[in-house]
Amino acid sequence: MTAAFNPELDLTISRIIKAPRAAVWKAWTDRASFEQWWIPAPAKCRVIEMEVRPGGAMLTQMSENGGDFTPHLSACYLAVDPLERIVFTNALTGGWRPAEQPFMTAIVTLRDHPLGTDYAAHVMHKNNADRAMHEDLGFHDGWGAVTEQLAALVEGA
Amino acid sequence: MEHYSEPLNGVFQALADPTRRAVLGRLGQGPASISELARPFDMALPSFMKHVRLLEGSGLIRTRKQGRVRTCALEKAPFAAVEAWLDGQRAIWEGRTDRLEQFVTANVSEEETST
Repeated sequence: MTAAFNPELDLTISRIIKAPRAAVWKAWTDRASFEQWWIPAPAKCRVIEMEVRPGGAMLTQMSENGGDFTPHLSACYLAVDPLERIVFTNALTGGWRPAEQPFMTAIVTLRDHPLGTDYAAHVMHKNNADRAMHEDLGFHDGWGAVTEQLAALVEGA
Repeated sequence: MEHYSEPLNGVFQALADPTRRAVLGRLGQGPASISELARPFDMALPSFMKHVRLLEGSGLIRTRKQGRVRTCALEKAPFAAVEAWLDGQRAIWEGRTDRLEQFVTANVSEEETST
């Protein structure tokens, strides 16, 4: 099953990585490896849970400026095809439990390429209003309705 | 977050009224003059102008006077903030992919040199 691309809500990143698929897979599924690249330095990443199987939890924390570790990503793996594909979402937490502030599902695919790995990430987001509310503008619940109205006015044009 | 609360109060106030929502809906189809905008409403012009000024003050629309005609248009900036969100997410994922690539290719060359 392939997900259709919605240009207003989705983004895709694709890249040829000059390393074998197994190395890229390990970077995504091995805690110590994942901590090395998930968050930009100097902030530090700590993997709390990484159960790489459908329904498994993916839980990371981050620390900035040497401060305490705070929640970063709380997600649930939806599909795990070894060396080929990882699908996860922050709409759920480990064990399929619904999450508080869902907004994203990511599909990471790895394919063989003569130079190494054909790597792609397709990231799907919720509607604009919710995205703005949760992630950027610090909107509280009441503002969600407002931005939805705004979006409806403009998109209806 | 405080930074956003003041303009958003204006946005909320602007959207709280059916006349103003109708005006925004009309402007979503393209710029229009005040008289054109006022036509559907059974309202004296000074009252209608209050709505226009409130919308302008909220940053949702801008108006421009040319000769004797004042034209209103939707201001896209409040909506641009929403679009910017996706660009921000893209930048985050580009960064992740850069670091992933760097991490795995550095490991590969280490393994190659050590064997």
